Amino acid sequence: MGVTCVSQMPVAEGKSVQQTVELLTRKLEMLGAEKQGTFCVDCETYHTAASTLGSQGQAGKLMYVMHNSEYPLSCFALFENGPCLIADTNFDVLMVKLKGFFQSAKASKIETRGTRYQYCDFLVKVGTVTMGPSARGISVEVEYGPCVVASDCWSLLLEFLQSFLGSHTPGPPTVFGNRHDAVYGPADTMIQYMELFNKIRKQQQVPVAGIR
Amino acid sequence: MSGVRAVRISIESACEKQVQEVGLDGTETYLQPLSMSQNLARLAQRIDFSQGSGSEEDEAAGPDGDAQDWAGAGAEQDDEEGLVKFQPSLWPWDSVRNNLRSALTEMCVLYDVLSIVRDKKFMTLDPVSQDALPPKQSPQTLQLISKKKSLAGAAQILLKGAERLTKSVTENQENKLQRDFNSELLRLRQHWKLRKVGDKILGDLSYRSAGSLFPHHGTFEVIKNTDIDLDKKIPEDYCPLDVQIPSDLEGSAYIKVSIQKQAPDIGDLGTVNLFKRPLPKSKPGSPHWQTKLEAAQNVLLCKEIFAQLSREAVQIKSQIPHIVVKNQIISQPFPSLQLSISLCHSSNDKKSQKCATEKPGPEDHLYVLEHNLHLLIREFHKQTLSSIVMPHPASAPFGHKRMRLSGPQAFDKNEINSIQSTEGLLEKIIKQAKHIFLRSRTAATIDSLASRIEDPQIQAHWSNINDVYESSVKVLITSQGYEQICKSIQLQLNIGVEQVRVVHRDGRVITLSHQEQELQDFLLSQMSQHQVHAVQQLAKVMGWQVLSFSNHVGLGPIESIGNASAITVASPSGDYAISVRNGPESGSKIMVQFPRNQCKDLPKSDVLQDSKWSHLRGPFKEVQWNKMEGRNFVYKMELLMSALSPCLL
Repeated sequence: MGVTCVSQMPVAEGKSVQQTVELLTRKLEMLGAEKQGTFCVDCETYHTAASTLGSQGQAGKLMYVMHNSEYPLSCFALFENGPCLIADTNFDVLMVKLKGFFQSAKASKIETRGTRYQYCDFLVKVGTVTMGPSARGISVEVEYGPCVVASDCWSLLLEFLQSFLGSHTPGPPTVFGNRHDAVYGPADTMIQYMELFNKIRKQQQVPVAGIR
Repeated sequence: MSGVRAVRISIESACEKQVQEVGLDGTETYLQPLSMSQNLARLAQRIDFSQGSGSEEDEAAGPDGDAQDWAGAGAEQDDEEGLVKFQPSLWPWDSVRNNLRSALTEMCVLYDVLSIVRDKKFMTLDPVSQDALPPKQSPQTLQLISKKKSLAGAAQILLKGAERLTKSVTENQENKLQRDFNSELLRLRQHWKLRKVGDKILGDLSYRSAGSLFPHHGTFEVIKNTDIDLDKKIPEDYCPLDVQIPSDLEGSAYIKVSIQKQAPDIGDLGTVNLFKRPLPKSKPGSPHWQTKLEAAQNVLLCKEIFAQLSREAVQIKSQIPHIVVKNQIISQPFPSLQLSISLCHSSNDKKSQKCATEKPGPEDHLYVLEHNLHLLIREFHKQTLSSIVMPHPASAPFGHKRMRLSGPQAFDKNEINSIQSTEGLLEKIIKQAKHIFLRSRTAATIDSLASRIEDPQIQAHWSNINDVYESSVKVLITSQGYEQICKSIQLQLNIGVEQVRVVHRDGRVITLSHQEQELQDFLLSQMSQHQVHAVQQLAKVMGWQVLSFSNHVGLGPIESIGNASAITVASPSGDYAISVRNGPESGSKIMVQFPRNQCKDLPKSDVLQDSKWSHLRGPFKEVQWNKMEGRNFVYKMELLMSALSPCLL
């Protein structure tokens, strides 16, 4: 598990999502990266049931249950600013049992699918973010395998991102922010994905009625 | 006595009459006392008139004793006393009076003593401390006697029992040949697991308790051997116990692994001759059921191994698919090489014994791989019982301990693959077979080269310790007699599963494939390079100077194997030079350069004015190397060099 940066690639003007993805992948292949299969990251939203709220206050918290094909036997559960739980795949079965406490938000499943490229120590994943049948955006994830401390290798990652994203290079992710010497873990990647999905959900508000 | 008052005493006659008989109701019939005449008659009878006065005194003592017994007798007694006694002063009541008087005296003394003691002034009564023993002695002896009696009774019972036991022991020793069913069953229980189901005794000879997952039940039944004729003599190997093994585990089995060079026709598949290997000798003391059960267990294990191998052969996808036919699995590890694993199960029928006439060749049977198969399946058994797997939480599936953590710790695919061993039994055995084959072929190549080529010599030092998948050998190419000088070609060969990796002394690493021709070509090229290196080392020793040296010359005819190498050395005086070109195929070519003044056929010209120019080296002449003296190349070279260096005389 190395330091990962997840960012969004805006769709090029006059082109569809698919074409932009193709542009990116062609750039990567010219760079010399080799294709290594596909990847998938998906996210489901749950909110705490109204019955458990009681006197506490207005809205319940949102919980996100995510899966990542990079960690095929794990399941991630996280709250917005809260802790992230890494569990076995039996967690999904557990969620069914907890139907009384957590209710699935309608039409909330969002996922990104794409190809996985390996370029020496870098692992690049370019995926199409889809919600239902429609494609909403493009996610780009770059992982630098050898390093586990974010502050040490951010500059290297930035340089690499610039080489093929060009002007769309993002800034340092918020998960890097506070802890400079903390070891990077898979939970941080999932937090970044969650933020990305939320951002994409908010972008196109017209077709989707009230997520909450 | 004088002041004592007179005491009145009353005397009463006993009036006792002798009892004649006691009636049944207790009434007594008395004898009537003798009348006077009867008494007189009795007394008269006693008198012995023949004797003197001595006898009369005796007689008097006798009746006198009688009279005194009758105290207070009647008148008849008075008469009698008067008759016999000669002391007239004694009156009949004298003795009575004396007795009474003494009694009175005693009583008075007693009375005086008591009255004095009562005052407690001059005399006191003190109790005498008496031991409790004396009165109790009699109860102790009584206890002792009773204890002795009871102990004797208990001892009697024990002795009776001991007698019975000794009798039975001697009986057993007598009938040692005729062993008891129960004692035999006890022996069986020491080796095998038995359980009682209803009225049958069943046993388990499968490996399930050792971790096997093979679905065979592996139960055998223990039966009593009752077909014994007690009248006839009991045979030597009679056993009251017999085991009945399942019918499909009868006979003996083994797994045969063999490598054949040529691929047979498809029609020949599945026609493996079952060679009945002689049964392994059982220990001399073990009973026949032990050998029977062990053989059945071996058959079960072989079946499990073969079932696992055939399952993997069908499931696992490989480039060249494995063929499973009847009791044989055929795969091709290398092209033109065939590996066949077969299960040879021969039952104890007489039919199959006749067919076993063919004996396999010694190289055909790879015993090492068969042994390894047994070890691998046992390892697989142990894995299901190892501490990595057990104990496990109730909700977790059966598997490796780290796999349960792969979810919560977010393992990625590399880490998951490293935990799971993806290689099955068949793949492991094929890899081992490939390695064995490659190793033997490499050894054969080196040996054939060594026997074919004498100059230079090849030495191979094989390492003792090697892996199932890797062996190593160190190959040295030397010239005989010059090992210390010419040791620049040393190769370390690491023989793996499919490739041979060569590490040269100068640091080059070359990977050769499984083709033996590649290794042979490589070694030949190294041998030719060695000759030229040897010349270089020799020149250093002899004092000759190396003018040029090249491992791979680009001039001259092209070699098909490797490259030719060449060297030019000059003599210490500079007069002569030797030029050597050696190639793996073209052999060696040696030319000597002479100084100009030694060549007669040089054209004279006017350009050279000075005579000093004639000392320079001029044309080359080839040496007929095969006519040179010397047993090998370096020796010949040394002779040539010494011949061309003039000795200073």
